[in-house]
Amino acid sequence: MEHGAAATACPSDPALAPGSLAPDFRLSHPRNASLSLSDLRGQPVVLAFYPPGWDPSRGEQIAQYNKILTQLPNLHAELMDFSVDGDWYDLRFAREQMRLPFLANPSPQPEIARLYGAEGREALFVIDSEGVIQWSCCAPVGMPPKAEDLLEALRSIAPQPKEETAAPKASRMALTRRDFIAATLATAFALTLGAHAVQAEPEATKLGATPMAPAIGVSGGDTMPITLTVNGAAHDLQIDPRATVLDALRERIGMTGSKKGCDHGQCGACTVLVDGRRVLSCLSLAVAQQGKQITTIEGLAQGETLHPMQQAFLTHDGFQCGYCTPGQIMSAVGLLTEPVGPEDADVRENMSGNLCRCGAYPNIVAAIQDVRKANTNAPV
Amino acid sequence: MHPFSYRQASDEQSALSGVSGQPGAAYLAGGTTLIDLMKLDVQKPSQLIDITPLPWTKITELPGGGVSIGAMVRNSDLAHSEIIMTRYPVLSEALLSGASPQLRNMATTGGNLLQRTRCYYFRDITTPCNKREPGSGCSAMDGYNRIHAILGTSKHCIATHPSDMCVALTALDATIVTRGAKGERRIPINEFYFTPGDHPERENVLEPGELITAVELPAMPFAARSHYRKVRDRASYAFALSSAAVALDIQAGVIKGARIAMGGVGTKPWRALDAEKALIGKTAGPDAYKAAAEAALRGAKTHKDNAFKVELAKRTVIRALTMAAQKTA
Repeated sequence: MEHGAAATACPSDPALAPGSLAPDFRLSHPRNASLSLSDLRGQPVVLAFYPPGWDPSRGEQIAQYNKILTQLPNLHAELMDFSVDGDWYDLRFAREQMRLPFLANPSPQPEIARLYGAEGREALFVIDSEGVIQWSCCAPVGMPPKAEDLLEALRSIAPQPKEETAAPKASRMALTRRDFIAATLATAFALTLGAHAVQAEPEATKLGATPMAPAIGVSGGDTMPITLTVNGAAHDLQIDPRATVLDALRERIGMTGSKKGCDHGQCGACTVLVDGRRVLSCLSLAVAQQGKQITTIEGLAQGETLHPMQQAFLTHDGFQCGYCTPGQIMSAVGLLTEPVGPEDADVRENMSGNLCRCGAYPNIVAAIQDVRKANTNAPV
Repeated sequence: MHPFSYRQASDEQSALSGVSGQPGAAYLAGGTTLIDLMKLDVQKPSQLIDITPLPWTKITELPGGGVSIGAMVRNSDLAHSEIIMTRYPVLSEALLSGASPQLRNMATTGGNLLQRTRCYYFRDITTPCNKREPGSGCSAMDGYNRIHAILGTSKHCIATHPSDMCVALTALDATIVTRGAKGERRIPINEFYFTPGDHPERENVLEPGELITAVELPAMPFAARSHYRKVRDRASYAFALSSAAVALDIQAGVIKGARIAMGGVGTKPWRALDAEKALIGKTAGPDAYKAAAEAALRGAKTHKDNAFKVELAKRTVIRALTMAAQKTA
């Protein structure tokens, strides 16, 4: 371990100075095989490196988090503890009934710490939603960054408030609870890297960390101006071509009704209608949807009047935890316009692309059949 | 996902010129395979040419009784097309047995032809795979290979071709129409795919930048008596462990013509010509179907976890033939 490094930003590696693109890397883990840093593009990420043996459930780590939390107005969250559940840590908060799972045991990837010049040091990198490092701090082990510094950096990457909801709140910052969760989750994900990242194992370079052409020089990261029409309203976005419709909806437009389940077209939680047909927003590039009409779960109700399918799901209790429900409902609305036989079995077959881990299937089928029998053709 | 630049092609010419001389460029159609594999870093195009605006969205009758299907026709539209349902029911059934309604609304005819294998090792960049990284080795060979192929394999690759649609097209003797630097090509589907051999990374005869514009089905009156049978681990929304696309020409109880192709068992959509021959002139019935199934699986080579596929595939063929024969032509 080096103990002599200065407790400021890392001047030794110009690639990692604020303003440069964060090098991409890949986290290989049996339960999260495909997570790359670039997958988190579109949301702020705090990447942290800690020495081996770092234990997030230690009192001082929790205190560190709480220091940050207390400075966030309107959040009222107090982190109580981290508990280990198999490969995952759960973060438990006092007043909020939130449990944030995060990976506790990724394979050792010292290569990543090396990419960031953070070997043998505690380091923090605040990366904005475009993947650019906005702030960094690199210090000897045992000298964590000041909470105020991190908070300031978090504030700098918080999304701007939307024009529509411009009602100026007294709040002195634009960070919402959701934004903070995203950041915390990302932090959590990133922190866990650190637990192993500095175990300099010379031979351990076979990992999934194809050190992605140090993303610094890659010009393909350029964004494009597009207009997405969602529920009848046009949204002008400057967007990375890699962004899916799902990410654009959730992270840029602020419509979080469409859910990210598998992100690989296998679960249906992200189902939306494009030009009236049900499709998977996680496999659709946002840049390819210009001129098309996107309908999401937010666009179904007419004011306070629910779409018949939404009402039927309520009436028949067609959900338990609710996570798959927006996808189920959008898929069911799409089904109404397709040639589908009259039987329950036909509905099951034609809803097979929407998985429900709670097993609410019988009630989902009943809800859909109800709407079909009522032959309701509410405008979509 | 690796960064890429994106451009929409306004017409065929701009699509072709967008890709020519760009080794990292790829066409984007429905995206159901490509975007998935890009998220996994299995495919890393530096440039995407979106061809979905191209106008190949029609299903048209050809003089002589055949049908031309535009490359951009969505799987759901093809499956529900009246002409396909009546003249080539096997194709409609195959399409509807594949993926989910959402994916079928996205996936195109041309894209489905180029669907990539579901071999877990191909999709996992942390493991060796000759198809993804030539020369790195095959993880499936001595790994978990329950879903892998038993026909057309080589010592370098045993990945299964995943498509249902292509199995039906293979049984129907489809022709793939392409456009490239050298003009138009018409490729019989039986000559379109390669078995892995020494080069699992080469999957078909398309030249770089060559674009599929249409698929043509020949006139085949007896294909009205055709059927697709698919066997999988769950009742719906799963890839085939074994499938069979069959068409039967039965006259006065005697088989005059037959088409059999198999899915889930081959490294490409597998035409069973020997099985077809075994049926000709035979009385339609269990004995003939059984003999055909035996012929279809002759030469099958199994691995640790997929030996069950031999018997399963035979039964799939027998069941498909039985069901097709019960249809009124």
